[in-house]
Amino acid sequence: MIEVRELTKRFGRTVAVDGLTFHVKPGRVTGFLGPNGAGKSTTMRMILGLDRPASGEALVGGRRYDRLRHPMREVGALLDAGAVQGGRTPLGHLGWMARANRIGQDRVVSVIEQVGLAGVARRRIRGFSLGMRQRLGIAAALLGDPGVLLLDEPVNGLDPDGVRWIRELLRGLAAEGRTVLLSSHLMSEMELTADHLVVIGRGRLITDTSMRELTAVRDVFVRSSRAADLATALSAAGGTVAAEDGGGLSVRGLDPVEIGDLAARHAIPLHEVTPRGASLEETYMRLTAELTAEEANR
Amino acid sequence: MIDALAAEWLKLRTVRSTSVVLAVVAVVVGLMALLAWYAAHLWDGLPPGRRDHLEVSSLPEVTHTLASLCLAVLGVLAFSGEFGTGMIRTTFTVLPSRGRVLAAKAVVVAVVAFCTGLAAVLATYAAGRLIIGDRPVRGQSAEALSGQLPLFLAMSLSIAMFALLGLCLAALTRSAVAAVATLVAVWYVLPIVGFNLPAPWNERVGSILPGALAGQLAGTGNPQSVGGALLSQPAALAAMVAWVAVPYAVAAVLLARRDA
Repeated sequence: MIEVRELTKRFGRTVAVDGLTFHVKPGRVTGFLGPNGAGKSTTMRMILGLDRPASGEALVGGRRYDRLRHPMREVGALLDAGAVQGGRTPLGHLGWMARANRIGQDRVVSVIEQVGLAGVARRRIRGFSLGMRQRLGIAAALLGDPGVLLLDEPVNGLDPDGVRWIRELLRGLAAEGRTVLLSSHLMSEMELTADHLVVIGRGRLITDTSMRELTAVRDVFVRSSRAADLATALSAAGGTVAAEDGGGLSVRGLDPVEIGDLAARHAIPLHEVTPRGASLEETYMRLTAELTAEEANR
Repeated sequence: MIDALAAEWLKLRTVRSTSVVLAVVAVVVGLMALLAWYAAHLWDGLPPGRRDHLEVSSLPEVTHTLASLCLAVLGVLAFSGEFGTGMIRTTFTVLPSRGRVLAAKAVVVAVVAFCTGLAAVLATYAAGRLIIGDRPVRGQSAEALSGQLPLFLAMSLSIAMFALLGLCLAALTRSAVAAVATLVAVWYVLPIVGFNLPAPWNERVGSILPGALAGQLAGTGNPQSVGGALLSQPAALAAMVAWVAVPYAVAAVLLARRDA
């Protein structure tokens, strides 16, 4: 459980995070979205005690991060896969972390195997690709077997296999009852991974909702050779009908079963009935566009 | 704190810069042995009447001066390497107490610097004694180790002081370049400036500069250097502590306040 309460952060005159409040609950993957400069990374840094908030607080499991005795056993974090010293090997890099949090060296070996770096455990990190560094960062996050995970753009630089691996890993960790907060700009990937979404813009909360609600069925697309008759019948039955540019009708307020039954009753042939949900990308664009417009009007 | 110490010890051991610095110290000791061999060779070649004119700097003293700079650089790199790569954020998520991180680094760096310094100074002394032997070359003390040991311990403390100064400068400036530049100013430029001040300020300033403290702490003064020798032994110790404590305190406050 991560609780962010009225969190505010200023850099000079810029307000990076502005009275942000949200909770990240266990047992599901929470996606953390927002345009560049929205304050995602700053918020994550404040949760981890790296940046000091101007006001408000961020608690992990009810406590401030910097009050945790062995933080890696409670919170695993990957902020920047590049934040390693190239001269060390994965064994050395994870070794000192494990030592600092009283985690056994056998655990170091097992997370290195888990993320697929066993073959390079004794090589210097300097020569690693971005994907390998991401895997190392994930190994560090998993090292203490923590109940809470915070990952900032973990799929950057991973190949399709790696992307799928992260998705399954995170979904598995959430299914075990852990709290997972994941930021990414890859909407299609987020749609597959996250159950819940926190969207912020200009440091403020835009929405805190489930993925299902955000991408819920929006309308039903219908094609018919007698579109005009169908439109009349659907409107009479309480649907809101709009003709689409490429032919066909967008119907709201009626589900595909009702539409099909109605067409049969009127003996109108149907050529297509497709329930359409909004993709996360569309919804996200709409949400953040509203924010941009609002900013422009002020 | 034990965990932080163990972690910082592991960190220091697993970066290459540490072994590079220690190798440079070993090279310095090797050069001192070479210098001893050269001095002995010269001495043997001179007619007995002119041997008195040959003077060679005290070899352990030269090792002390050069090792001070080497280990100060080690101290700088122990922190600046993390700021340069962003690794400092990883460090502070692993060990959220920044004061504890600084303290652990300080202990590890001080112990490594003291031990390395002592080993280097003793090795230089031993090489000098073995190579020069009983030739009474001026500038080379023929005193037994027991008599020299207080000076060697003071030199090792001084090397540890330089290393801690380097560590604190890196924490303050968050940059290897700025820290090393400041360090070289303190190690090399300030003594020259101090030496050229009008009397009595040249000796007053020369006495409190870090490079002059080892001799004063051991009570031998600074016969061969630009450093002054006005401080009593306790005062020299206090000055040594101050050269570390003041930058350490400022670094601790800034580390805790700044965003990582």
